[in-house]
Amino acid sequence: MTPPAQDPLKAKTRRSGCSPRPAPGTVAVLALALAGVSATLPSPGGAQQDSLPGVRLGLVYETTYFPPLAVKPFTGRFGGQAVASQVEAIVGRDLGYSDRFEMMTGLPQELGGEGVDYTLWDRLGAVWLVTGRVEGSGDGFVLVLEVHDVVYGTIKDQGRFRLPDPLDPGFRMAVHRASDAVVQWIFGEPGMASSRIAFSMTRDGGATREIYIIDSDGENLGRLTDHGDLALSPSFSPDGNRILYNAMDSATLQWRVYEQNLATGRDELVQPLREGNYYTPSYLPDGERVAFQIHTGERTGLFSYNLRQNCCLTNLTEGRSEDLSPTFSSDGEWMAFNSNRLGTAVPQVFVMPVSGGGAELISPYEYGRAGYYTAPDWAPFGDRVAFHGRVGRSGRFHILVGQRGDRSSLLQLTAEGNNEDPSWAPDGRHIVFVGERSWGYGLFVVDTATGAIRTLLRGVDVGEPDWSPTLGG
Amino acid sequence: MTHRRLVVPVLVASIFAIACGQDPPPPPEPTGPTAEELEQMRQDSIRAAREAEEARRRAEEEARRRAEAEAAAARERAIAAARRTLTETVYFDYDESEIRPDAEQMLRQKVEILRGNPSLRLSVQGHADERGSTEYNLALGTRRAEAVRQFFTSFGLEASRFSITSYGEERPAAQGSDEQAWARNRRAEFSITGGTIDPGM
Repeated sequence: MTPPAQDPLKAKTRRSGCSPRPAPGTVAVLALALAGVSATLPSPGGAQQDSLPGVRLGLVYETTYFPPLAVKPFTGRFGGQAVASQVEAIVGRDLGYSDRFEMMTGLPQELGGEGVDYTLWDRLGAVWLVTGRVEGSGDGFVLVLEVHDVVYGTIKDQGRFRLPDPLDPGFRMAVHRASDAVVQWIFGEPGMASSRIAFSMTRDGGATREIYIIDSDGENLGRLTDHGDLALSPSFSPDGNRILYNAMDSATLQWRVYEQNLATGRDELVQPLREGNYYTPSYLPDGERVAFQIHTGERTGLFSYNLRQNCCLTNLTEGRSEDLSPTFSSDGEWMAFNSNRLGTAVPQVFVMPVSGGGAELISPYEYGRAGYYTAPDWAPFGDRVAFHGRVGRSGRFHILVGQRGDRSSLLQLTAEGNNEDPSWAPDGRHIVFVGERSWGYGLFVVDTATGAIRTLLRGVDVGEPDWSPTLGG
Repeated sequence: MTHRRLVVPVLVASIFAIACGQDPPPPPEPTGPTAEELEQMRQDSIRAAREAEEARRRAEEEARRRAEAEAAAARERAIAAARRTLTETVYFDYDESEIRPDAEQMLRQKVEILRGNPSLRLSVQGHADERGSTEYNLALGTRRAEAVRQFFTSFGLEASRFSITSYGEERPAAQGSDEQAWARNRRAEFSITGGTIDPGM
């Protein structure tokens, strides 16, 4: 193509490149980015201010560079032609959801076909270019994926990914793994496309709740449990193959912990080890031990228990306070939990070594002010802990991220409605949470780096989402 | 008896004849009841006596039955009242599991009934309003149920008579997102899970 013909194209692409990525939540990104300039939330009327007095808290995001990325129309051969555009659409959306790129859209069709003209892509403004070819292979397909460094005019990385038939339930997840490879190749960091989110939801709009699951891109919503009463608080095992959850036994009205093998769908009751109700189960990083609160008449506390060996009930926290919602650092050294040890009506989030020792406050606390911070979730790597808390005069709940050992670095991720139950994605960057908006409840995904928020599931009564680790093949 | 009854009319007739100085008329043919009639009369009198006796007995039975039904109804009413008292909901302050004075009064009435009916067992279900996290509210509901159980045991009632659980914020008694609804949702509910109520206690 001749340069004059390119100019309008270029202008068009550049124009779209000036605005943040054209993904859902763009408006929110802008609003939050602007808010970030003043380090705290703007409060024109004062009444809308949702921040904590005395604590530096606000939507503070670094100005991040988003390298423009283009996805060239995928090609196909040996029968892969019919699947190519479907695979391309999934990869393109995944890369958009990664919130790491300025996704180039509206590219002219003439840019398809074999071969890569780096000069042309450079002129269009692309920094990264993804090409893909889908080939029929046996009873499935192979996706040959390449990431091109347009600036240097070289192939950054490439890989071959086996895909089952598109009708196979594992098809989309196989494509998601290719999307995560692109993120890994370019940034050297894990992606989160090949993951799922478990949560509780009211069944058929009734009074019962069951555990449901959905892909990280909002596809494949399905129900996991059939208790017919209340099932809550799902928690993935470190290998992503099992979940623990909390359910009420209708006969005894006691809360029990169940483990479900996701491959077989079979539920196993974690046999009650002593009298009482069991709450907020989660795995320790070794995948063998689980932790939960046991509430009995005389004693309430957090315990760990070895599920594989059926032994070794161990007290995790001491004292008479009410501790809840244990969550662990990936090295298994630390745990965060919710406790009312500073008094009832002021639940706070604490961090302590799993081996025992002093618990240190990670949520904001001001003497004499009733705080309310609950539902901690430790990031898949590092020392960050997400939780939610009642913020500011409006009394609304927002998603917060604290850091062990540094109480001054507190990040507020939401500014609208009520927001609860954060859970980290395997990329250690995104967080899923329950949001309450004027139209109802929904699941949202926020990018902790940019503040971009997208809706995952809208208008349903959901609770306690838990984001899986990266799911293998 | 039969002879005497025959003698009387004969005597009357004789006196009448003497007074008039006439020949006494021939004594009338005896017209007394026949043997069958006599037997009938006898049977009638027996039946009458029996019927009177039966009526008396029926009345007595009726009175007894009425009294019994009244007692049973009273008993039912007392049991129902005790049941109502036992299952009456108590309410809590925001994010608190302390027993409020109004709840204490209500719980004391429950204690009285529980004391007099040692076989009674209760399930105590704690609830929370919608504010705050699901899991925290589940624990808060348990704490409320536990506070109720501890109130009972502080009066010497066996802890094993009470099973506690929580519905957290999942079963609101009132819909709505205002203080009025929240206040009605911060509560402990009760159900009788075993034992009988003896209202005569």
